[in-house]
Amino acid sequence: MTASDDRGGDGREGFDRPRGNQAPRGPRVIPEDEPAAVPPRPMPQAERQAAPPGGPRVILDEKAGPAPRLDFQWEQAVVPVAAPRPSVRWSGIGRAIGGLTLLGGGLAALDAANFVVDQFGRGAVQGWATLGVVAGGVALLGSGLWREVRGLASIRAVDRARAAFARGDLAAAKAETLRWAASVQEAAPLQPAIRGAASIAELGALLQPALAQLEARAATLGRNAAVQSFAVTAISPSPGLDALVFAWRGVRLVRQVAALHGLRPGLAGTLALLRRTLQDAAMVAATDVAVDAAARALLSNRLLEQFAGEAAAGAVAARRMLRLARVAAEACRVLPPG
Amino acid sequence: MSGLADPFGLLRDAAYGAERLGRSLIGQDRIRLAVTGLTRAGKTVFLTSLLANLLAAGRGQRTLPALERAAGGRLRAVRPVPAGIEGLPRFDVAAHLAALAADPPAWPARTEDLSTLELTLELDRQSMLAGLLGTRSVTLELLDYPGEWLLDLPMLNQDFPGWSAATLARLRRPGHAAAMGAFLGFVDSLPPGVAAEDSLVQRGFALYRDALRGCRDRLGFRFLQPGRVLNPGPRGETPLLWFFPLPPGARGGLAGLMAERHRAYVEAQRREFFEPYFRRFERQAVLVDVLGALHAGQAAFDDTAEALAAIAEALRYGGGWLDWLTGVGVDRVAFVATKADHVPARQRDALSSLLGHLVAAPQRRATGAGVTTSVHALAAVRCTEDDVATLDGRPVAAVRGVLLSSGRSAKVYPGEIPLRPPEPGFWDHGFFEMPEFQPPRLDREGGAGVPHLGLDALLAALIGDVL
Ligand SMILES: Nc1nc2c(ncn2[C@@H]2O[C@H](COP(=O)(O)OP(=O)(O)OP(=O)(O)O)[C@@H](O)[C@H]2O)c(=O)[nH]1
Ligand SMILES: [Mg+2]
Repeated sequence: MTASDDRGGDGREGFDRPRGNQAPRGPRVIPEDEPAAVPPRPMPQAERQAAPPGGPRVILDEKAGPAPRLDFQWEQAVVPVAAPRPSVRWSGIGRAIGGLTLLGGGLAALDAANFVVDQFGRGAVQGWATLGVVAGGVALLGSGLWREVRGLASIRAVDRARAAFARGDLAAAKAETLRWAASVQEAAPLQPAIRGAASIAELGALLQPALAQLEARAATLGRNAAVQSFAVTAISPSPGLDALVFAWRGVRLVRQVAALHGLRPGLAGTLALLRRTLQDAAMVAATDVAVDAAARALLSNRLLEQFAGEAAAGAVAARRMLRLARVAAEACRVLPPG
Repeated sequence: MSGLADPFGLLRDAAYGAERLGRSLIGQDRIRLAVTGLTRAGKTVFLTSLLANLLAAGRGQRTLPALERAAGGRLRAVRPVPAGIEGLPRFDVAAHLAALAADPPAWPARTEDLSTLELTLELDRQSMLAGLLGTRSVTLELLDYPGEWLLDLPMLNQDFPGWSAATLARLRRPGHAAAMGAFLGFVDSLPPGVAAEDSLVQRGFALYRDALRGCRDRLGFRFLQPGRVLNPGPRGETPLLWFFPLPPGARGGLAGLMAERHRAYVEAQRREFFEPYFRRFERQAVLVDVLGALHAGQAAFDDTAEALAAIAEALRYGGGWLDWLTGVGVDRVAFVATKADHVPARQRDALSSLLGHLVAAPQRRATGAGVTTSVHALAAVRCTEDDVATLDGRPVAAVRGVLLSSGRSAKVYPGEIPLRPPEPGFWDHGFFEMPEFQPPRLDREGGAGVPHLGLDALLAALIGDVL
């Protein structure tokens, strides 16, 4: 209410002025071509011309006949701009996770490097051999990762379908889901029903059972991966290797889940999928660290600690796999979850 | 209506407060937004625009920028809560939108019954733990109803003699004379101890009903009771309504019957309207057609202010120790001048300033109870664009729109909007009825929302803090 300084110069003074001098303020309809239309009560002509305009009135346009409706171009004005990422607070816990990630990754690399250097200290043969082993291992893992990662491109289609659902664009959503249904065994029989869907909500309801089925199968894949990574972490000699195995198995799992959803993986879309998935997986890591610390604090017996430490690491990895499967399945759904 | 007098109400309040607390702890807030407004204030249109624009915002359309900012870009989705087993009609946004978008367009008819809708806003959590806890939701409960019924709320605290005296005193004011003459003549001629003869009651009631209708439709008055006489609802008139105020000192059968019906009516309204919908709410938008009241003359303007004050008096804003104990109370109230598209942009501040004076009493009452209040000017559906008209050789700021009645384009100069309740001389120009405008071109499905002015700022002020 800061209007006091916003006085229009068009006649507000009329309200404070003495009566005798006032403008004709009566309501009236004044077609523009006859400006001297009738005020509600007669007033001397001279006065009317001298005074500022006061009362409300309607002034019809000269052009008779219906006018087109006003158009504010609202649809164009409100189209979504490139979706602004919601501001995530880089909270204390976020920093801690960042730090842990850096420490984990960095130390594993340093570990490996130191080991190689140590081996060189023992002798050139051992050194070169170790370097070869490490480089070979890293290269193999890297290429494996690369192949897996490259495999995922049709994620884009998922994004298009979701966007269509979000916009409420029935035609586009139908087209996308039809294509999707053709590539997914579970959804193939749905195609006629999809063609007949009359609204976005109906379309969503039709897809739901098939998606639930896919989700259950993704969970099974996750359990398999969990068992495998549990086994690997239990027998592997170094935490660095654990991490690599975990990453490789993780990407493979994501790819399997994507295949389940009829996605033919490729590079461009994969990045989006992985980003979505890993962002979530990072959250999981945060709680895992907390759980792990709690477990260690409880198990102060040395022997137990030795034993449980390994098992806990394996359990953490397994839990991550389960979670990853779920998150990946969510990321691959043609219909936004919920 | 103190809590002490009504222990069961108190218990229900406590349960309600506990439920609210629990819900907010698990991130599933539930907020009842009471939209109050006298008849023709623009409630139905407001709700339609609110729902259409929120749903569009949930689809990512940028229809409510200020609200989006208040939510920090975390609004993920908005959906109507699916129908359950409610015994009330659902507020039909799609039908209202289709009527507004149709050719020729139609504004919603007078609301005749209650209807409700709940909307769930889904939001990302702000913290890094978001991925673990999932999204947060805020459910908005909305209600549409005939504006006339709101005036039954002040009746809840009055007995028949008290109500009669207050009502007759109001209706005897000179401004009401044109419509009230016949009825006042009738009650004043009644002998004091007259019996409750059926045809006499019928005649008195018919006169009273016509008088109230005349006051509402021709003179622009709003403080007219009981509300159901003007708008009986889907079941039509029932004998419960057949009462009218009697002069002080009335005795005998007629007075007894009137008092009995009055009591039963008040009880019914308390049970069916006040208790379920207005006893507890967290946010309130008070819609006022300021311009309409201004153009209807001084008596109608003062009458509107009086009606708003009486309604605010009857509502619970919390702040008492019992409210504090049960955790029930209103958090925010926004006073809103609707149809702000009837004045050019430069006059909208004046409109909200004038509204601030008009609702001074309700606002004082709300702030006294510790409620945060704000004043806004809003057009739920923007129907005009600013233009300049030449009046008596001088350019004045006006608005241009397409008239609903003739389909012709016209400029409307709404007069000068005073910043405070104007001096008596201001009213000399007599009545002016703002013409209805056609809504602008709208998308029939409402996928992109509805053009509005200031709806986003209002929502940010009302619910921005819970997003
Ligand atoms: N130009 C314009 N006119 C409006 C706007 N909102 C409401 N109106 C006009 O006001 C009239 C009444 O609006 P409603 O929403 O039906 O009023 P209400 O409060 O629901 O009235 P009741 O149902 O009788 O209580 C509409 O028919 C429109 O002509 C607005 O934002 N802009
Ligand atoms: Mg209505």
